[in-house]
Amino acid sequence: MSSDVRFTDFKSDKQPTWCPGCGDFGTMNGMMKALAETGNSPDDTFVVAGIGCSGKIGTYMHSYALHGVHGRALPVGIGVKMANPNLEVMVAGGDGDGYSIGAGHFIHAVRRNVDMTYVVMDNRIYGLTKGQASPTSREDFETSTTPEGPQQPPVNPKALALAAGGTFIAQSFSSNSQRHAELVQEAIEHDGFGFVNVYSPCVTFNDVDTYDYFRDTIVDLDEEDHDPTDRDAAKEKILEADKEYQGVLYRDDNSVPFEQREGIEESMADIPDGAPEDAMDLVREFY
Amino acid sequence: MPDDLNWAIGGEAGDGIDSTGKIFAQALSRAGRHVFTSKDFASRIRGGYTAYKVRTSVDRVESVVDRLDVLIALTERTIDENMDELHEGSVIIYDGERTTMQNVEIPDEMIGLEVPLQRLAEEAGGAIMANVVALGAACEVTNFPIENLDESLEKRFGDKGEAIVENNKEAARKGQQFVQEEYEQDDFGYDMETTDEDYVLLNGDQAIGMGALAAGCRFYSGYPITPATDVMEYLTGRIDQYGGKVVQAEDELAAINMALGAARAGARAMTATSGPGIDLMTETFGLVAQSETPLVICDVMRSGPSTGMPTKQEQGDLNMTLYGGHGEIPRFVVAPTTVSECFWKTVEAFNYAEKYQTPVFLVSDLAMAVTEQTFPPEEFDMDEVEIERGKVVDEDELDSWTNEKGQFQPHFPAADGISPRAFPGTVDGAHMTTGLEHDALGRRTEDTEIRQEQVEKRQQKVETAREEEDWDYREYGNPDADTLVISWGSNEGAMREGLAFLEEEDIDVRFISVPYIFPRPDLSEEIEEAEQTIVVECNATGQFADVIEHDVLERVDRVNKYNGVRFKADELAEEIKEKISEAEVTA
Repeated sequence: MSSDVRFTDFKSDKQPTWCPGCGDFGTMNGMMKALAETGNSPDDTFVVAGIGCSGKIGTYMHSYALHGVHGRALPVGIGVKMANPNLEVMVAGGDGDGYSIGAGHFIHAVRRNVDMTYVVMDNRIYGLTKGQASPTSREDFETSTTPEGPQQPPVNPKALALAAGGTFIAQSFSSNSQRHAELVQEAIEHDGFGFVNVYSPCVTFNDVDTYDYFRDTIVDLDEEDHDPTDRDAAKEKILEADKEYQGVLYRDDNSVPFEQREGIEESMADIPDGAPEDAMDLVREFY
Repeated sequence: MPDDLNWAIGGEAGDGIDSTGKIFAQALSRAGRHVFTSKDFASRIRGGYTAYKVRTSVDRVESVVDRLDVLIALTERTIDENMDELHEGSVIIYDGERTTMQNVEIPDEMIGLEVPLQRLAEEAGGAIMANVVALGAACEVTNFPIENLDESLEKRFGDKGEAIVENNKEAARKGQQFVQEEYEQDDFGYDMETTDEDYVLLNGDQAIGMGALAAGCRFYSGYPITPATDVMEYLTGRIDQYGGKVVQAEDELAAINMALGAARAGARAMTATSGPGIDLMTETFGLVAQSETPLVICDVMRSGPSTGMPTKQEQGDLNMTLYGGHGEIPRFVVAPTTVSECFWKTVEAFNYAEKYQTPVFLVSDLAMAVTEQTFPPEEFDMDEVEIERGKVVDEDELDSWTNEKGQFQPHFPAADGISPRAFPGTVDGAHMTTGLEHDALGRRTEDTEIRQEQVEKRQQKVETAREEEDWDYREYGNPDADTLVISWGSNEGAMREGLAFLEEEDIDVRFISVPYIFPRPDLSEEIEEAEQTIVVECNATGQFADVIEHDVLERVDRVNKYNGVRFKADELAEEIKEKISEAEVTA
């Protein structure tokens, strides 16, 4: 790790193709700031993303990166981190990627508690496929595939994470850039799976969950004297369906990352030129 | 007197059939006899017919045959299930005092040995040792020195304490003495010669796991599925000794993606599954190829389609591994043909994966996965293992792969199609890779020229590999014979032994066993030389035959088996004979 890393070092020279005004700009800037703030360099950082607008993030950032298939970014990130625990692993996803097609992986990544950061750009709509309902869309939100609204309650990702044994659950708003960057930084610094759900408005297809809506409704947990280490208090806040919070909802300060429990300390990249010296013992076992 | 012995123990799942069979097989192996085992089992945990069969000889044995000489029958059904294989003089050991076995009728020409297994076990210290009593009886029947059983019992029960081991040895002797004392016929015609050879006894899944460790595999993620789970169980714990880890993923999609992630981080990584799991993983095949990530994907085939017959044999996934996935995916498909080749082909698979940065499918099948076979340990000579990691570059070499802006180009279209790899952590090597079409930097593009260049670059890897590696086959029988038989995968053993049966009938055959499906050896000359070509495989449609026909533009004959059971040597010889005579009639 080098100390003179600036957040712009994490920026690639590729111009984003996100719509002007997209919430993802702020989300990504916060991620880059947080990575620089925590003393990481692009060469020891691995960013994984799935599909959708959020999936483009690896291209616009500068680091080791993989842009994978829809919904499977978390398992890739887990594999990277376990094979080399010295890397800073950050996974970016969207609400479709993380809570629909990848929902199964989400639950298991949370409970596995590998030391990595998961940032979900939640805009409550499918943007790149041009405006269909997402798992976090409101029950009555009319879209091209749900003209009467989805007619089912939205997924509560923070509740899923808490129920699955999450050790760090936070919520931010991409437009509150300083606060958002702080929360991602806290997630990175957390020993275990740091999950940040980011309200990242889609200015093209979602005219309900807009910047104005979030600005008017969002409440900072610091103003509510919320104790993030109190699981019951976190539960209460998380289950308040009509409230939009920003801040750390829950944090387990005793969290021990999975790879540490499994005793992984070194990179798995270095191997000998031939079979291990004592490899014939593997054969003799079968006598 | 038969020069090899076919022995089996059968009963209900949960009767300890597997461990009893294994104890006997190990005792034989330690006594310097060759062993080839097979299992009949159903997809359930308790109940249902199950059997463990052992074929043994001082010579190497490589298949099962339709003959059973000694059978330990724990249930009446065991006798019915095996009636076809029992013959005049076969010995059936059973507990006549057991309520369910009291009215057992043994056909006149066979020898029924009523041994009070449970009562003798109780005398030795516990009814649970009934199967071991039966093993002792079997030693007496087959003239196999019972002392050889002792070590095997120590291995099996050692961690349960000395007393348990001693009780078991005692139980075995009670079975032996009972047969000695109660049966007038003291010679059943078997002579179980022992030798000084030290063999190892292992199955195909274990050999794959061992090959992975030898090859430096450090990360394995998988989801339990029959018959691939043994690979995972073998690696669990053992891989840790080398700084690696096995992760049981939440599903196959996660399993292959975790392995992909580990491979991107620089680890040699693998996943193994069977048909239904391969279906789920298919989505990621393209990503592996497009991101040029080295990955070994092992498919231990079972009967399909859908959930098919999970505990039965088939070679039905060849097309899936050759063609699975949308778009065009450069890949290698390697299919070991024997248990020991499961080891060597796994080592090769890792080398191909890293040298060419592609998915490598390692295709095995249930018949090999559950077959335990003896080998001289030298057959797994670890000094022979070579590890080739391909074009991995460090920070000093990075320079030669950067563009004018100093950016590292992980997908540089090199003439051989193989780009440089920089493991994460390499200074100034930070780069993007993606399943989207991309440029040399790994960044998304829809530029038609770059698209074409990158497609050609990826395909070039296969062409380079065709040139650089030996895509060879193994050959048996008479090289000048008019009839050419070709098989792939686990059929090699049965066919090799089948050659002996054919020879007895003066039928001359050239046999080629192919371990490489893609790239594969060019067989056009061999096929042209032959008057008739027969392709043997365990599937209904002849997937490998299709491929061969396509290669040589000539119709080949097919021998297919798809009832869920592997080929037996004598049966296969019969089928080949029939195909030859069919061809003669039409000629």
